[in-house]
Amino acid sequence: MTVLKSQSRSSQILRAVLRDRLGMVGLVIVTLVVACALFAPWIVPHDPNAMNIQDRLQGPSLQYLLGTDQLGRDIFSRMLMGAQIALKVALPAVFGAMVIGMLLGMIAGFGPEWLDSLLMLVFDTIRSFPTVMFALAVVALVGPSLNTVILVVMLTSIPTYARVARTQTMSLRSADFVMAARAAGTSSPRILAIHLAPNTVGVLAVLMAMDIPTVVALEAGLSFLGLGVKPPTPSWGALLKDGYALIRQTPWLIVAGGLPIIVTTLGFTFFGEALRDAVDPKVKKGR
Amino acid sequence: MKLHWSRTAVGRRGFLKGATALGAAASLPGGMATRAAAADDSTLRVRAYGDMQSMDPAYSVGVTDEEIHASVYNKLVQYKPGREWDWQLDAASMVEQVDPTHIKFALRDDIGFTNGFGAMTAEDVKFSFERIVADATESPNKPDMGPLRHVEVTGEREGTIVLNEPFAPLWSIALPYIAGNIVSRAAWSANDGKVTTTPPAESGPYLRASWSPKEKTVLKRNPDWRGEAPAWDNIEILPIDDENTAEIAFEAGELDFTRVSLGSVARYRDGVPNGGALLEYPSLYYAWLGMNLDHPKLQNPKLRAAIQHAIDVPTVLEAAYFGAVEPSTGIIAPGLVGNRAASKIPPEADFTKAAQLLAESGETNVTLKLDTLNKTTFTTAAQVIQATLATIGITVEVNVLESGAFWASAENEDLQLVLNRFSMTPDPYYATAWFTTEQVGHWNWERFSNPEFDQIHQSAFKESDLDKRAALYQRAQDLMEDSGAYRFLTHEATPVVHSSRVMPALRPDGLALLRYFEKG
Repeated sequence: MTVLKSQSRSSQILRAVLRDRLGMVGLVIVTLVVACALFAPWIVPHDPNAMNIQDRLQGPSLQYLLGTDQLGRDIFSRMLMGAQIALKVALPAVFGAMVIGMLLGMIAGFGPEWLDSLLMLVFDTIRSFPTVMFALAVVALVGPSLNTVILVVMLTSIPTYARVARTQTMSLRSADFVMAARAAGTSSPRILAIHLAPNTVGVLAVLMAMDIPTVVALEAGLSFLGLGVKPPTPSWGALLKDGYALIRQTPWLIVAGGLPIIVTTLGFTFFGEALRDAVDPKVKKGR
Repeated sequence: MKLHWSRTAVGRRGFLKGATALGAAASLPGGMATRAAAADDSTLRVRAYGDMQSMDPAYSVGVTDEEIHASVYNKLVQYKPGREWDWQLDAASMVEQVDPTHIKFALRDDIGFTNGFGAMTAEDVKFSFERIVADATESPNKPDMGPLRHVEVTGEREGTIVLNEPFAPLWSIALPYIAGNIVSRAAWSANDGKVTTTPPAESGPYLRASWSPKEKTVLKRNPDWRGEAPAWDNIEILPIDDENTAEIAFEAGELDFTRVSLGSVARYRDGVPNGGALLEYPSLYYAWLGMNLDHPKLQNPKLRAAIQHAIDVPTVLEAAYFGAVEPSTGIIAPGLVGNRAASKIPPEADFTKAAQLLAESGETNVTLKLDTLNKTTFTTAAQVIQATLATIGITVEVNVLESGAFWASAENEDLQLVLNRFSMTPDPYYATAWFTTEQVGHWNWERFSNPEFDQIHQSAFKESDLDKRAALYQRAQDLMEDSGAYRFLTHEATPVVHSSRVMPALRPDGLALLRYFEKG
């Protein structure tokens, strides 16, 4: 019965997203980006890391759709593979932050006041660091890598999810169904897992969809500074960095780095907003 | 100048006229509009890659300060513009090396300091040079003055520079560069010796009229200058870090002179906008791949030799420097004493020999980390090295670092391979200084330590015979290469462009000598 109800709710949300024109566009873009990321190794026309110095800085042609970079590598192939890196960072980082944030937020909202104060202090401390500066400091300490970027994004995003989960938990802990469960002798962990988590996860999922472009941009920013993924791994930020340095030699690099970031950001934002409206129609009405 | 405004009503027709004129002006190409406005002025606009830091030569941070100091102060001798390293008299009417440790000089009688600080005297020379080497000054430029003992004042404008031991770089670094600037003893004393960004007295053909941090430094003609009159009334020096930006500014007519990126050389060879010209000068910088001799992974000399032979320098230079530079043979550039005609290991890779050396080393599954700065030139070079070393089975992980972390590499005990580049002054003494045993843990990141090399560094600067001196420095570079810790890459190059209104005066390494710039 619970499963059927859940399926029905999911279908309602999906239908609402599809009815929203921008939401539909967002969903198409998100699907395309995810498809590129999943199938990039099979659909790239060239090995994205194969150097061919003789062919460096070529313009677009049938052989190289977006031209070549300073090492003669196919920019289009590197752009497609960049989608994989962007999502490889964004999805685990955002999902990890959501899971940990939700857990800590619910504990803060449902637990004793001293624990709530302690956790809030920790969250506020983390949030007080500017994300980019914090990321730069961590990268400078432990060195740049894919895992470092994921770790930094996760750490800096946890407080946001935790705060939302805490607020949601606090608003529900006095609800009738929670009081009834308590009266029936249900343990606190069980109340959190069975009754509160399902009512929190929807809001956090919307937040997650809205956060992905931020994380994509952060990864690109770190790579632009040369502190993201290591060469020769293709990433949109690294394409932007090389494109900026070589803008007077070949403008295609900067297009290949910038355009996917813009499109992905728009796609996830449109999709996230439509999802938010579908999950909580009151927000839409209020706009 | 005071502007007097009259209250004239602006009607619809008048407004349209004005708007049309503005629109026409705006539709001109940027360069034309700007040049149209600037056509009749006598202001030279040049780009500096950084902003001025100090007006005290004792604390000058290098080229960006020196470009200003060389215009507003005087030295006994200045670098001579041209393609060969040479010097010419400046504040001195005579300079004579009477023996290896004594240099007599006489000052011109027509040079004075501004702000009422009087004529330049030998006391000013003594003050300027001795404060550079005084421990109390803590000048970072102290090594440039070498073994200066003192300056003997023998007359109002005569004196003798006395050295503790012979010092050949005196003529190539000490006197014509940063440490050789003569300041006013009275003016500096009046400021308790503390001069930061405002010069208390100047003496050169130009005076510093204004300094807007990060925006521009303006020099104006010194009305009291009695020497040969400079060509330009004003010089505006604009700090522009990014070469792409500088190129756009040049092409828009906002700059008369700038260094350009190596990637743009091919384009400018086909033609320079605004009727200008491209000048290509060799550079003194040196870039190389270093190997940390203390690292456990790099103890095997055959492994290091395999790495040296597997790096194809021409490919690295083609990719990272757009083929606009030549391979280097060491740390001393062509044109300087001690430059080697060829390196022991040719710049082209020999993969067969490299693979053979690797097999002989007995090392298998070699994985090394290559540290480099987060600049496209270096990351590109690092990726080519990564690819070429992969051909003999050495896996390289490129570790890109921001400048703070990179320049702290001396403290990084896990440093393995490093792609590096040092600046240079026109004397080999300055190059070998960073690779002595004493520099291990400071600038000698390879931890190269060789008693013969140290001995050469300590003795070669005293050698006055040029051939003998050259042989010593060539031997020093042989020792570096033999250690297996170095694969020399390039000295880079200095391509500059200038507009048709300017005839630049440049050092042989392409750096500007602004006071000698002529009109085109």
